Amino acid sequence: MAMEELTVFHALVSIKQVPDTTNIRIDPETNNLIRQGIPTILNPYDAHAVAAAVEWKRKLNGKVTIITMGPAAAVTSLRECIEMGADRAILISDRAFAGADTWATSYVLTEVIKAVHEQDPIDLIFFGKQAIDGDTAQVGPGVAVRLDLPVVSYAVKIHDVNLEEKFVIIERKTENRNEVIKAKLPAALTCEKEIAEIPYASLPNLVYSLRYEPEVWTTEGPITFEPSLLGLKGSPTTVFKTGTPEKHVAGEVFKTAEVGVAGAVKIAFDRILEVEGVASMLGVQK
Amino acid sequence: MIRRFWVYIEQEDGKAHQVSWELLGVARKLTEEIKDELEQSGDTALVEGVLVGHQMEEVAKEALQYGADTVYYVDDPAVKHYLNKPYTSVLTQLVKKYEPEVFLIGATTLGRDLAGAVATGVGTGLTADTTHLAMGEVKNSTSKLLLATRPAFGGNVIATILCRNHRPQMATVRPRVFSMPARLPEAPGRIVREEIAITPDMINAEIIELIANKASAVKVEYADVIVAGGRGLGGAKGFELLQELADELGGVVGASRACVDAHWIAYDHQVGQTGKTVRPKLYIAAGISGAIQHKVGMQESDFILAINRDPHAPIFDIATMGIVGDLYEVIPAMIKEIRARKEAQHV
Amino acid sequence: MSNTEKLTFDVIVVGAGLAGSAAAVIAARGGLSVAMVERGPAPGSKNYFGGALYTHSLLDIYPDLWDRKPPLERPVTETGFWMLSKDGLVRATVQGGKLNNDPIDAYVAMRAKFDAWWADQAKKEGVFVITKTVVEDFIREGEQVIGVITDRPDGEIYAPLVIICEGVNNLLTQKLGLAKHDLQGHSSALAVKQLIALPAETINARFGLPSTNHGLAASVMGDVSMGLPGLGFLYTGIDSISIGVGVTLEALTEAGIKPYELLQRYMNHPIIAPLIAGGRLMEYGAHIIPEGGWSTMPKLYTAGVLVAGDAASMVNALHWEGTNMAITAGKAAGETAIEAHQKGDFSAKTLSAYKARLDKTFVMTDLHQYRNLSRFLKTHPDFMAIYPSFVNDALGMFFTGFGKPKNKLYKDILKSLTNRRPLLKAAGDIIAFGRTIIGI
Ligand SMILES: Cc1cc2nc3c(=O)[nH]c(=O)nc-3n(C[C@H](O)[C@H](O)[C@H](O)COP(=O)(O)OP(=O)(O)OC[C@H]3O[C@@H](n4cnc5c(N)ncnc54)[C@H](O)[C@@H]3O)c2cc1C
Ligand SMILES: Cc1cc2nc3c(=O)[nH]c(=O)nc-3n(C[C@H](O)[C@H](O)[C@H](O)COP(=O)(O)OP(=O)(O)OC[C@H]3O[C@@H](n4cnc5c(N)ncnc54)[C@H](O)[C@@H]3O)c2cc1C
Ligand SMILES: Nc1ncnc2c1ncn2[C@@H]1O[C@H](COP(=O)(O)O)[C@@H](O)[C@H]1O
Repeated sequence: MAMEELTVFHALVSIKQVPDTTNIRIDPETNNLIRQGIPTILNPYDAHAVAAAVEWKRKLNGKVTIITMGPAAAVTSLRECIEMGADRAILISDRAFAGADTWATSYVLTEVIKAVHEQDPIDLIFFGKQAIDGDTAQVGPGVAVRLDLPVVSYAVKIHDVNLEEKFVIIERKTENRNEVIKAKLPAALTCEKEIAEIPYASLPNLVYSLRYEPEVWTTEGPITFEPSLLGLKGSPTTVFKTGTPEKHVAGEVFKTAEVGVAGAVKIAFDRILEVEGVASMLGVQK
Repeated sequence: MIRRFWVYIEQEDGKAHQVSWELLGVARKLTEEIKDELEQSGDTALVEGVLVGHQMEEVAKEALQYGADTVYYVDDPAVKHYLNKPYTSVLTQLVKKYEPEVFLIGATTLGRDLAGAVATGVGTGLTADTTHLAMGEVKNSTSKLLLATRPAFGGNVIATILCRNHRPQMATVRPRVFSMPARLPEAPGRIVREEIAITPDMINAEIIELIANKASAVKVEYADVIVAGGRGLGGAKGFELLQELADELGGVVGASRACVDAHWIAYDHQVGQTGKTVRPKLYIAAGISGAIQHKVGMQESDFILAINRDPHAPIFDIATMGIVGDLYEVIPAMIKEIRARKEAQHV
Repeated sequence: MSNTEKLTFDVIVVGAGLAGSAAAVIAARGGLSVAMVERGPAPGSKNYFGGALYTHSLLDIYPDLWDRKPPLERPVTETGFWMLSKDGLVRATVQGGKLNNDPIDAYVAMRAKFDAWWADQAKKEGVFVITKTVVEDFIREGEQVIGVITDRPDGEIYAPLVIICEGVNNLLTQKLGLAKHDLQGHSSALAVKQLIALPAETINARFGLPSTNHGLAASVMGDVSMGLPGLGFLYTGIDSISIGVGVTLEALTEAGIKPYELLQRYMNHPIIAPLIAGGRLMEYGAHIIPEGGWSTMPKLYTAGVLVAGDAASMVNALHWEGTNMAITAGKAAGETAIEAHQKGDFSAKTLSAYKARLDKTFVMTDLHQYRNLSRFLKTHPDFMAIYPSFVNDALGMFFTGFGKPKNKLYKDILKSLTNRRPLLKAAGDIIAFGRTIIGI
């Protein structure tokens, strides 16, 4: 795990720890989400991004660095990345970062990535497609623009990483088709789950990861940030209000047990055909 | 002063993405919501489209017919196909030149890729994947601001987000959450060609292959009739039955995530938070419990028919009509009924 | 990092449940290096129970329990038996009095939350917790167990002592030949349970609880188990209700009833249904309870190994006591580990001190006292069915027989019993039951 040794390929993965949205509960009274007791997980898309980075590290005898901006508790997610085979993890954690929107987030990540790049040039920067808490999918492209790097989003497959001629070939998925894109290195990509399978670590790797202590970067150093661009202050967007999705008025419900199957179906069609344009569409009369 | 409400006109291979027209409709609605301010100040508000590509005149005209007052059009073979960098730099330059107040982009894969980059490029805020937009008054702001509302935390929470001090106020907007505006035969608006050089340094990537994927043949998000199935189907075979009904109704088959996760059907059929948002005339939900993440994807449908064994299933809360019963009795009966009714037409 | 170095600890604990984390923390306090291996993604993620935890056992490990803010739900301020007939209910529950003890004796808990916290406390005292890893076998040196083999590549861990706290599905205990292969039908129950979310206020209202500082723990008898020998339960969490029923595997298979049918039937009971109406199902699961207790208890130690908790079928089914037995046993195992390390001797002989320790605790005395319970239930299959419904009838008649000659009333009541079971047999049942549990 020696940091000094010069490696051929250097991938950086930007990961986020998120609340497991499958377990989210809403306080029926206050309409706020009950954060307490909600397990946090490594953002699933990020996990697959790490898996892909590690896959190519093995192919090209390289190295993988993980960064995350988040609370101290995020070390567990960083350790998961180490468990998967990443070599170095940096926790960017400071009160000043709290409340950052995607713009302020991408600023901090960019500064950190620049610093890491100085120490040890980066070839590929991996992001998840999106974080399941915010579902914004903005941070990846945001960082890429700040670094003026090509970015391939919704990546499903890395066909080739050519370090001699400095290009990467990545397949991305859009609604209608897949695009195979050749981009100059260094480049950034945001990953779908298809990008790679999560590996099952050996026990020694697991134990190593559980004991691993990531570097912690703060506003104190090792690098400096422009205070006015951090956290809430540095965020163009602000949350105006939150609530729960408004409820629709429930329509009439018929039980087949009471009106019979045929009965229910008849009522259904009678009503459906009332809907504007449906009768003509189905070619039947009301 | 002119207050510009911009819409990105998304095109692929010379075909406009329908969301662009939906957004022109929304932008118009937003300008109406600031009428009072306009009357006071004497300002004017314009709904304007931005189009980038090659030989897109037809699309530009269409944009005018859907209500754009202006279409700024950048035509260059180098930007025939979408690529993040050149498109980002073009739009960034245009935004800096015209300083729009609001900039809406469809929340498609292309749109979300582009919006994040442009927002960062011009240094403004962006609200992703919005499902509701309004111009509203906000404390200590002289004029109304864009209130962009979106689901968060897997649809469990709805957050309204605003961008106070930076312009434009940007948002990506989900296809199909807003309805299509009327298409006018007469389009008073004008097309403005923008001369922006696509310099080599803008090209840091190239598309070397395009692979059509068949699954995407289904376009749930634009179907007028959707027969959707959930875990209640009990297996992949259940979808054959739904397909049969869908065929009778001239619709397509949709699915809950549970079925997609179980590999009963392809992802492209998934409706909801992490699937497609749909607003068909008729949405039939068979064996779907109605989890919040599914509801947010289909609750705008004109008529929702829910079929579920469990009278307490949350789907009934939003259903226009509900049938409590076994879908394996109800669906076949529906196929029979519709066939009968069609028969009745011909005699 | 080199993959060649052997992973070595003083003690390996298998399973981060109640027994495991207790054993681990005690050993760690004795200065031992402890690895606790848990198969779940996090301690507790695979565990659930009724259920209530018993304060005495928690305080026994952490005297400063309350400063540690344990994630407990409601204190049990009302508890007892609910006796269901087909369409009726008699509640024999107690509240106030001893239930106001300070601290309160029992707390409803959610295992996923609690076990994670429980393991974290052990972590704080130096226990090394390895999750997402399944122990599959042992490393042996002759008779002596000197480590475990996990399901991961290069998955060996070495330690002179392994404490097995693997729970009721005690495959490892069986592998060592300590437990008879697979649990016998009549001596182990299958419990099916649902956790149902409801607003705290709704729960307060429906169960007559003044606030979330009051909770109900009910053992439900009678119509719950469709006449099979079994017991239902109902616990109130802060904003959830835990409802389930346990029936012996044997009876279940004989009757050919599916577990969830049993639970559905229980939940559809005209008195139960309104209590949970409108709730959202949060979890459903089935889990074995080793009701055999004494009769199925494996040998508790062998060279280099100790067994604690459900793995050693330390459960008192009638009182829903299991967690506290697991914790007490875990503690005894931890103490024995320290002793063995001091001696540097891990032979079966030294480790027999573990059983000696346990014999002095309520664990062994209770399990011994209740040793015949499962046999009693087997020989009196309809015991659970008859009497609850009789009590319903009896009280029902007593409080409705207005304007009727009372001597007739009593005759009717008596008849409703004898219709079910001849007097003598009934008397026999009661005595037999008394014998089994009180040991008279
Ligand atoms: C971040 C996040 C994003 C998500 N995104 C989506 C999404 O985009 N789309 C989505 O759908 N889900 C999504 N989910 C999952 C969602 O929470 C639910 O798990 C899922 O919608 C459940 O699918 P279901 O209703 O088919 O299955 P269930 O919830 O299991 O419902 C099955 C229903 O079928 C009924 N039934 C069973 N048999 C029959 C029968 N014979 N006849 C009639 N009825 C029957 C049952 O009563 C039950 O109500 C997401 C979850 C998260 C956390
Ligand atoms: C429905 C029900 C209701 C109950 N109600 C109550 C109640 O109200 N009060 C009460 O005191 N008791 C109750 N009990 C009993 C109580 O839950 C158990 O006695 C108690 O959990 C036993 O603790 P344990 O640590 O021995 O086992 P467990 O808590 O089951 O812990 C075993 C742990 O070992 C792990 N494990 C198993 N095998 C391996 C392996 N090979 N490798 C790695 N890890 C492994 C498991 O994942 C688990 O985390 C109830 C039980 C049930 C089923
Ligand atoms: N706080 C963060 N720290 C590190 N990476 C992040 C952070 N937030 C987002 N990302 C990365 O950006 C991707 C998209 O996030 P989002 O734009 O929030 O949907 C995620 O999958 C991560 O790879």
